[in-house]
Amino acid sequence: MSPAAPVNLTTPGGLLLVLAVLLPFAGVLLGLVLGGRHAQRVAWLTILLGIGVVLAITRASLGSGASLVYLLGGWAPPLGVALRADGLAVCMMLVVAVVVGAVGVYANGDFGTPAGQRETRAALAFWLLLLAVWGSLNLVFVSGDIFTLYVALELLTFAGVPLVALDGRAETLQAALRYLVYALLGSMFYLLGTFLLYGAYGTLDIALLAERVGAQPVTWMAAALMTAGLLAKTALFPLHLWLPPAHAGAPAAASALLSALVIKGAWFLVVRLWVDVFPGIVSLPAAQLLAALGASAIIVGNIVALRQARLKLLIAYSTVAQIGYLFLMFPLVQALNATQQGNAAAVTGGLLQAISHATAKAAMFMAAGLIYSTLGHDRVADLRGAGRALPMTITAFALAGASLIGLPPSGGFLAKWLLLSAAIATAQWWWVLVMLVGGLLTSAYVFMVVVRAMAPAAPGWSPKKQVPGYQQAAVLGLALCSFLLGLAALLPFDVAQIGRAVVPLVGSP
Amino acid sequence: MNLDQTLLAAAMGLPLLLLLACASARLRRRMPALFVLAPLPALAAALWAGHDSMLVLGNTRFALRFALDLPGAMLLGCAAVLWALAGMFAWRYLRERADSDGLVVCWLMTLTGCVGVFLAADMIGFYFLLAVLSVGASGLVLQGEGPQAVRASAIYLGLALLAEAFLLAGLILLAQATPDGSLLIRDAAAALPGSPWRDLTLILLLVGLGMKAGLVPLHFWMPLAYGEAPIPAAAVMSGAVVKASILALIRFLPWSTALPDAGHALALIGLFGAIYGVLIGITQSQPKLILAYSSVSQMGFLVAVIGMGLAAGDTGTALAAAFYAAHHLLVKGALFLAVGVVMLTGRRHRWPMLVPAAVIALGLGGLPLTGGALTKYAAKDLLGEGLAGSVAVVSSIATTLLMIHFLRRLSAMTAVEADARAPAAMVTAWLAMALASLLIPWALYLAIPIDTLPKAVAPAALWAALWPVLVGALLALGLDRLGTRIPQVPAGDVGEVLYPLEDASMAAGGWCERVDAFTRRWAVSCIALLLVSLLFGWTLMVG
Repeated sequence: MSPAAPVNLTTPGGLLLVLAVLLPFAGVLLGLVLGGRHAQRVAWLTILLGIGVVLAITRASLGSGASLVYLLGGWAPPLGVALRADGLAVCMMLVVAVVVGAVGVYANGDFGTPAGQRETRAALAFWLLLLAVWGSLNLVFVSGDIFTLYVALELLTFAGVPLVALDGRAETLQAALRYLVYALLGSMFYLLGTFLLYGAYGTLDIALLAERVGAQPVTWMAAALMTAGLLAKTALFPLHLWLPPAHAGAPAAASALLSALVIKGAWFLVVRLWVDVFPGIVSLPAAQLLAALGASAIIVGNIVALRQARLKLLIAYSTVAQIGYLFLMFPLVQALNATQQGNAAAVTGGLLQAISHATAKAAMFMAAGLIYSTLGHDRVADLRGAGRALPMTITAFALAGASLIGLPPSGGFLAKWLLLSAAIATAQWWWVLVMLVGGLLTSAYVFMVVVRAMAPAAPGWSPKKQVPGYQQAAVLGLALCSFLLGLAALLPFDVAQIGRAVVPLVGSP
Repeated sequence: MNLDQTLLAAAMGLPLLLLLACASARLRRRMPALFVLAPLPALAAALWAGHDSMLVLGNTRFALRFALDLPGAMLLGCAAVLWALAGMFAWRYLRERADSDGLVVCWLMTLTGCVGVFLAADMIGFYFLLAVLSVGASGLVLQGEGPQAVRASAIYLGLALLAEAFLLAGLILLAQATPDGSLLIRDAAAALPGSPWRDLTLILLLVGLGMKAGLVPLHFWMPLAYGEAPIPAAAVMSGAVVKASILALIRFLPWSTALPDAGHALALIGLFGAIYGVLIGITQSQPKLILAYSSVSQMGFLVAVIGMGLAAGDTGTALAAAFYAAHHLLVKGALFLAVGVVMLTGRRHRWPMLVPAAVIALGLGGLPLTGGALTKYAAKDLLGEGLAGSVAVVSSIATTLLMIHFLRRLSAMTAVEADARAPAAMVTAWLAMALASLLIPWALYLAIPIDTLPKAVAPAALWAALWPVLVGALLALGLDRLGTRIPQVPAGDVGEVLYPLEDASMAAGGWCERVDAFTRRWAVSCIALLLVSLLFGWTLMVG
């Protein structure tokens, strides 16, 4: 289903989209100029303002019930560049704001520079990169044309790579380089696809492209190249070589950003392309291929996660598996399009999966960080005493785990319910099987970690470091967001479908 | 909100409130004293809440709904009694335990889930609360002090989640087939016979709920869990928690349509379990394990009753099955408490504890004038005179045999000190529970039109109930002669196959790890990127 016909007018509130993108980048520049301990203050000011902007966008979007649009310089596409925010974009921006806020609170502990303490380069870098990630993600969500999306994606990668190597150890530098080189390969593929489309159709605007693309070799090639490139950046199995070392090696707050948000940027772009740009071009076999990669990610990722000795690697492999879930929506969307029922169930399901994974995974990585600080290690086999020292954190880990497993009332459950309903409605039972088996495997490692953490500590053991309460609260808050996300079904409105063809959800709660 | 809705809300709300209050360490320490009170609103709801009104939380797009029907009220009321008395037992038990936090949280979580599942009227709420129940109960198993507690808890949770995966698929199929997207269990059950996926839905539901009910061969979690859980936890789990699956069967199956194939299959599996449970049970020597196998047997019998009712399309099945379940709930809960009390009682004071245990234990076999005889009588018509009826008589005999075996083992495990007495709170809880399990079935039988009283106490009926018990007692004497020649079967019998399975899955895991390491090589990854783009090009072209 294509989005509403291209609106060539700036809507009221459209300027907010520009603000959402510019504000974080302005923060980066200001932080760079002021430097040192001021960077943290600038970051916090920006985060607060930015959350305000995102809330205003949500309000405007709910109020009008349509996409927000802003035409840069008043030039309409194909000449100018449009920023658009439909329901999907608004939802993602909200989640990113929430996660950035929570990571910010958490990072006050790890990257704070209290008075009297020397300023560190890592802290400065972290706060600036946090804002840069945020700004680039917002640009990914609101971009209306595929070249701006390319720029946004590059910005995102370049903000993400140094986050991996914040501590400057040789192994994390190596992981960061791995990430950088492979992501660049992905970018090349994407850029090549963009050129092909521009050459063939003379426009880069998503809405115009959706009208113009036809089923011919150049479109297929462009779609294939762009998709493959984006998958490399999302780290979908078997293109995930960079993810485990990068996500497991980074400091906890950075891992949370990378695992929860950065990979979602490239995934979001795949959704944009497949659902909005190429709905008529994408074939069911191609969608099945995408989901098959997702299914193998779920199986391999979960099993390998179970066998990890280190908690952060376990969580990183859990991300490999969860990325797989994000791609199960495509054959369902495709099949639902064919049945004329509307693809809302599958799209909303996929979106919810992304949102609940973002919040849950950020909470998990930060919980792992707190466990590391408290125990001085993160060996899964020896988490004794963590439950006693950090009850809130272990609760948070369990709640986030419940969301990944898909237990109600978590967002993961609602997502699973929608996706499973769509799979059954379109008679694709094999995806049902994959989702259910994946949930069981996930429960195995969540159970393993929680049980080991609940074991009493060795006699005479004391925490290596006292963890501040606000860090624990940030982790628990984020986990609760994820766990209670399913209650969004109780809300009287459906944000995700704003600005999209409105079709009642099929068999949905 | 009218009175009925207030009662329903309170029944759910109080345990939930107490659970949330556990976030504070200070309140958490005081919580065990409130265990007795937590289920009382549920008891009030079971007694006084009307069966027509519904508690609705949410809006028109989606809402959680709670309601009570007659089978639900019966089971909820009995469960509330058990939860309150076992709560009293648990409170005393926790005073001697250094680390009580885990048990307190899991206890309240399980209680919330248990009451919620009995009240849930829509599928989402049911699935949600069943998950709460399973997670809470696996936490209770984890609180056991034995070396196998972690394994038992993991197996409990694993099988529960596997069962819920089947259920989820079944529920989604149900929801797809229900007209106007209603998520009410009532509507779904009514629409099931006309569903295009009727057989698949039935299989998924029956497999899922059968696993939760402990049907052979997926029963092995039961002895493992009940054997490891602390006594009061085992009492509520074997009594109340496991009945959630029975109530779900009662509510989800369409009683007005005869489904012979599914019904007979279910009955066959159930009856097999009824006999199998006893056979393995008599090889056990620990009273808790014997009780657990008795549960396997009783749940099998109960499922067989449900299966025969389903095969015949008999609308009376719901009530008869609920009545049977209510009796088993009370008796099994009481007997677990008895194990806890007798363990702490010296030889000199054991008889006042053992005699009530003997009466209610033999009641399970159908001793005349006990609740057991009444429930078996109520289920008799459903099973009929054929094979199922004969198996029912055999099951009565076998259950008596197993219960006598239990009583012998129980009397052998008194405290070392001959003069020891169990704490008063525990004794009170146990005796009150024993009394409840004798009186409540009669009260239910008289209050609810299940059958007429004179028929149940007619000499012929009494004799029909008595002779299997006598035969069972004679067999028990024979069993005693066999003595040590009975082979010892490890707790969890077929669950032993999990050990080689664990090895196999480790090997498979190693294989996955090698795949992961291979794909993460640079050369492989780059080729994979190319291949993926070529494959996408090709699939787009052919589509």
